Amino acid sequence: MSEIPRFSRVLIANRGEIALRIQRACRQLGLETVAVYSEADADSRHVHEADIALCIGPAAAARSYLDADGLLLAARLTGAQAIHPGYGFLSENADFADAVAAAGLTFIGPTGASIRMMGDKITAKRAMRDAGVPCVPGSDGPLPADMDAVKAIALQVGFPVIVKASGGGGGRGMRVVEREADLAQAVTLTAKEAQQAFGNPTLYLERFMQKPRHIEIQVLCDTHGTALWLGARDCSLQRRHQKVLEEASAPGIAPETIAEIGERCAEACRRIGYRGAGTFEFLYEDGVFAFIEMNTRVQVEHPITEETTGIDIVAGQLRIAQGEPLGIAQPDIPLLGHSIECRLNAEDPFTFMPSPGTITRWDLPGGPGIRVDTHVVAGYTVQPYYDSLIGKVISHGATRAEAIARMQVALAEMKVEGVSTNIALHRDLLADPDFRRGGVDIHYLERWLARRTAP
Amino acid sequence: MNNRPEQLVPPFDRLPEPEQIAQMATWLAQAGLDSLELTNAAAGLKLRIRVGQAAPVPPAAQAAPPQADAGAGRVAVTTPYFGHLCLTHPLRDAPFAPAGTRVAQGDVVALLTLDSLQVPVTAPVAGMVVDVVGQPGALVGYGAPVLHIQPD
Repeated sequence: MSEIPRFSRVLIANRGEIALRIQRACRQLGLETVAVYSEADADSRHVHEADIALCIGPAAAARSYLDADGLLLAARLTGAQAIHPGYGFLSENADFADAVAAAGLTFIGPTGASIRMMGDKITAKRAMRDAGVPCVPGSDGPLPADMDAVKAIALQVGFPVIVKASGGGGGRGMRVVEREADLAQAVTLTAKEAQQAFGNPTLYLERFMQKPRHIEIQVLCDTHGTALWLGARDCSLQRRHQKVLEEASAPGIAPETIAEIGERCAEACRRIGYRGAGTFEFLYEDGVFAFIEMNTRVQVEHPITEETTGIDIVAGQLRIAQGEPLGIAQPDIPLLGHSIECRLNAEDPFTFMPSPGTITRWDLPGGPGIRVDTHVVAGYTVQPYYDSLIGKVISHGATRAEAIARMQVALAEMKVEGVSTNIALHRDLLADPDFRRGGVDIHYLERWLARRTAP
Repeated sequence: MNNRPEQLVPPFDRLPEPEQIAQMATWLAQAGLDSLELTNAAAGLKLRIRVGQAAPVPPAAQAAPPQADAGAGRVAVTTPYFGHLCLTHPLRDAPFAPAGTRVAQGDVVALLTLDSLQVPVTAPVAGMVVDVVGQPGALVGYGAPVLHIQPD
């Protein structure tokens, strides 16, 4: 179908479970892999399995996984023609994507221009609104310098409002304002913080949704005009803006509603010429979707979408980067059953402090509908330098109840010794009546944890 | 204004420190120049620094900390970056530091070549080179042992 492939050797610019996940997809497609790693990850599984492995720096990410120049040099030295950035690190760095392309290599992801557009929350929101993607009512652009004008906008949007930094994200650079009287001070303070943290004092303002759920739509787009949506994920169980447990599809939201929003996301991708995998994140409350941001990369929770659609998203990214057409249409995509992902972290289940150390026992669950994505093996040492994700247990069932039951058995089977993990937290959550009913909001887990630790 | 050009480029009787090479490359890039070549025929030294449009500046390579666990008090000299290992200077026949050579702290004992870039590998301590473990021409990673020194 496709002519000469653009690349036959892929440099994986990441570590941990996602590096192994990308490597598997490459190998299944007959592509060679280059593992670049920091000194701390020398004993990682994907490093051993790689066709070429090269230590590119010390443990500090700035001198290894975040060293854009070093990664490009490593690609040149190892003969890799493509770079997969995974998630985190340089995956949403527009300059890096541009530099990879300028070096004559293939960046496995969207163009730098797409990443840049989505990285700025104001331009992203404007592009989405133009494309018919619903957005939360707000200032529709940067806040004016005149405080009376800001007040007029806030009154029109309706209190409570949230003031956000255009360059912010991940829960940083934002402030909730309940009353008009507090607005001026909040705007001044947030602008000052935004200038310090992001080098950009530009702010915007939105209606603050009180008890929303986090619903996101996975998209996959080729370079031949096909843009597909792959169903929705509910990632409302979060602690400090970090997702803990995700599920697909979103309980209690009608498939027709998801289909309508999904189609708008796909249409937005067609309009901006988006390429590769991406995720549209929404807040959802009282039947209203409000776009928050688009992630221009593969996400940690991509497996639950793979389970419910049967589509290998990472292989899809690689094929799209080769210039191949997706070869399927929206009606070909099934949404089968229900899937849950539990993120396993090496951390204290009560204090959430990271728990680095050597894993002495690592008994994995199995059976129908259970998948484990992990780079960990018994004897592996969890490093203190990076995030504490040690794996993901993914369950799939014909129904949500079956997916929950399979996950409960899987977590009961799972035995980890040597480090503390959050497995007990997941077990408790899966047994929680509100979770089992489905549809809890993004603040639920924080409230639940506060209740748990209360005397 | 005291604008003496010889201050920009250090005396070329030995290979500049990595930091100095990085500084020179930065100046080249800032001046919109793409290459600089220094030759000292008497000392058999030649250095070419090339910076392309989006070319990376040579890494500000820091000597890896001395590793004193190489046995019998030996210190392993490890690579400060990755690249193809070069044990012999490109313009000379003799290796930088074969076994049995005395080296001073900071002496260049090998080079890492990355295309047109060259990153020196320097001795972290003074002493006698007791063995060379790096394979010439091999692509080596950061922190790879090159040779061992018995410190003075």
